[in-house]
Amino acid sequence: MLTLLLVAILLIFAIQAIRARALITSALWLAGVSALSSVLFYSYGAHLVAVIELSVGAGLVTVLFVFAINIAGDDAIQAQSVPPWTLVTALVALFVLLLGWFVLGVPVVAPVSPVAEAPLSVILWQARGLDLMVQVVLIFSGVLGLLGLLAEAEAPLKGSMAAEVAARRDREMQTLDSQILQIEDVRK
Amino acid sequence: MTLSPFTIALIGVIGLLGIGFYGLMISRNLIKIVVALQIMVKGALLGLVAAGNANGQIGLGQSMALTVIVADTIVAVMGIALGVQIRRRLGSLDVRDLSSLRG
Amino acid sequence: MLTTLTLLTIGLPWLGAICILLVGDDHRRLLNILAASFAVLAGIAAVAALPLATSQAILLASLGGVFGDFTLIPDGLALSVAAIAAVVGSLAVIFAIDYMKHSQQLARFYALVLFFIGAMVGLAVSGSLLFTFLFWEITAFCSYALISFHNDDPRAVRGGIQALIMTQVGGIGLLAGALLVYAYFGNYQVNSLLEGFQAVPPGVLSLVAFGFLVAAAAKSAQVPFHAWLPDAMEAPTPVTALIHAATMVNAGVYLLARFYPAFAAVPGWRLSVMAVGVLSALLAGLLALTANDIKRVLAYSTISQLGYMVYAVGCGAIFAAQFHLFSHAIFKALLFLSAGAIITSIGTRDLMRMGGLRRPMPFVYAAFVIGSLGLVGLPIANGFFSKELILEGGLTEGPFAFYLLMLLGAGITALYTIRLLWMVFHGERRGPEPAHDGLPAMRVALGLLAFGTLTTWLLAGGFSRLLADTLPLHGIEAESTWALVQQVCLAPATWIALGVIALAFGIWFIRSKLTAPAETLRPLASAGFGLEELPRRIADWTDRAAVSLQITQSGQLNWNVVAIPLALIAILFVLLGFK
Repeated sequence: MLTLLLVAILLIFAIQAIRARALITSALWLAGVSALSSVLFYSYGAHLVAVIELSVGAGLVTVLFVFAINIAGDDAIQAQSVPPWTLVTALVALFVLLLGWFVLGVPVVAPVSPVAEAPLSVILWQARGLDLMVQVVLIFSGVLGLLGLLAEAEAPLKGSMAAEVAARRDREMQTLDSQILQIEDVRK
Repeated sequence: MTLSPFTIALIGVIGLLGIGFYGLMISRNLIKIVVALQIMVKGALLGLVAAGNANGQIGLGQSMALTVIVADTIVAVMGIALGVQIRRRLGSLDVRDLSSLRG
Repeated sequence: MLTTLTLLTIGLPWLGAICILLVGDDHRRLLNILAASFAVLAGIAAVAALPLATSQAILLASLGGVFGDFTLIPDGLALSVAAIAAVVGSLAVIFAIDYMKHSQQLARFYALVLFFIGAMVGLAVSGSLLFTFLFWEITAFCSYALISFHNDDPRAVRGGIQALIMTQVGGIGLLAGALLVYAYFGNYQVNSLLEGFQAVPPGVLSLVAFGFLVAAAAKSAQVPFHAWLPDAMEAPTPVTALIHAATMVNAGVYLLARFYPAFAAVPGWRLSVMAVGVLSALLAGLLALTANDIKRVLAYSTISQLGYMVYAVGCGAIFAAQFHLFSHAIFKALLFLSAGAIITSIGTRDLMRMGGLRRPMPFVYAAFVIGSLGLVGLPIANGFFSKELILEGGLTEGPFAFYLLMLLGAGITALYTIRLLWMVFHGERRGPEPAHDGLPAMRVALGLLAFGTLTTWLLAGGFSRLLADTLPLHGIEAESTWALVQQVCLAPATWIALGVIALAFGIWFIRSKLTAPAETLRPLASAGFGLEELPRRIADWTDRAAVSLQITQSGQLNWNVVAIPLALIAILFVLLGFK
């Protein structure tokens, strides 16, 4: 019962996140979604993931969003959405219906003899060790990508492109110079 | 009608996915699109955890959910950084302005 | 050893293509060196493999039920075609060093050319029909990419699309044949069909036979699929020499020669093959008489000479066909590359603006004359021996009427060749001053090819022994070179042919009295007898369809995202349908 209530509120928060006008409001509703899903994870027995979701999802990502909105500005875009609203709603409704029909008919078979599962640390580090390596690689590439993305200076152009760009700049400088000369002539 | 915890979670998953798709298709602001993506990933996480719970293998479910959290956080970070850079270089976060194809 | 050499012949050009793409456009000298070395190495590997030819198939890799076994059949037929592709291809690459001196995107050019050479070799030596089809398609793609290399010229792009579409039509014939073979034998192996063709019901065998004929006709530009070759002249000349003399068009003749034992008994097949050959030889010859673009004349001449080869295969004279393929590759490449030298020197392809180039360009003139000797089929050049062998084979094996028509074709060949020679090199200068008489790299390629034209007929004996030893099913008899020379020189057919050629030369010199028939022929021929209109329409239609589909590429993120739920809904429908 409590679970059903939590899921219902979760969905309401999510809808609010999409509907919000200002970006900051949207980010705050997203933080609420993260917090609620963290509680849900805990209630399903996933204690570790609940804690991580709370700190990363509700904490880190929200801070990042606020930071980005501060830099990028909070201009809410009021105009019409690009694909028509009716098409989008119809597609989403169709998708939800089909998925529901497909998924909810699946009978859940609990294991006949509940096998005593190994402790979490064993599963995490040994059985899914490769996943952890993938995560390390992901984090590393993410950091690299971020550094490249947020670099301020333009990267130097290579080879023939540099020559073309330089030639174009020279031509533009020349036209500018001749224009300046023309203006000076007129002034005289 | 007694709903098993798994079915309740599935309703939540489907709902979050649907809301996420709606947000993806409707939003014109790049940052909003990242928010919609995040909502969809929360749905996926819920599905993983609930499946682990229903099957009795919650450890496996948590490991996979952990990987997904890491990946999705990096996606969010990259998306936000992209948004910031686009705002700086092109001056607008509106999706309609970000296409140079003449189709 | 043989496996290694064959794999090197395929792999070296492909490795070269990758290296060239990695080097990029900025280091032109390095690109030239890389391209030439990889091509020449592949040529050496191919020639080194020739003495080791065997009729046994070599299993490379067993890829399971669906794809079958990837085998090689390194017999004389396959290795000779591969050697021609590699050697003439390397000469074209050497020529391109000077021809493409001022061109942009050199890396893309060389990479595509090398990729092409490797794919052609793979096509020839592959023993599995599925992989033959794969290599067939790769050559079709490379030819499209190379023909439309100057992709800001709409004519070049249209020529490329035409070539692609028409050879794809042929590809369908090949695929249909391959699938039928798989259905009846359970595998794609070439040897299965060659050895077990009697087990296939006659109707199905006919389908396979005519499917392969369509594929060969489309690839070798035979009537009615010939229209793409003249319009493909927009390609840079080394590409033209490569595709249209040395490699791609030979694939069709190779296909017919390879499967001749299996299809010879199919009713009507041999006659159809001969008819296709005769029609192409005559029609293209007439078209060459009235064309005014030097490369177009050579293109029609290629179609005509391929008609001779196809006619020979239809008669069962496999050795004659392959020998002519070998000779033709050399003298046609020589002619095309000489034309390329002329084009870069004068700056135009129009015959009306040439003339009197004999004095300023003696080297190119000599090369062109030697190539013409081969094309017309005069003694001392390799074309003489191969063409006379074909005519003899036609006289003994085929309908007499066809033989007469091919004799007429030989006369027409002589006529348009001397017309070409005269309009370019003799008479008064009608156009610009030539800038050079063949740049150094060009001269190397031309010299080697000219030497080849004059001497490769000496290899005839060895070649016939190679084919006879490694092709047990084709009924070829090995003869020594001297026996072949005697046979050709003493046969009455040869003297008749030489007489027809002399008659043709005579007609040229009294041409001013023959304006009436020429004027009736000219407008028909200039329009290509109407057969070239359809492919042009198809190419234009493809272009317009592509433009109208642009609207789906809006670039708007939201519309792109809409595609995702659409796909998911489709998948869910399918999954629910299976429940």
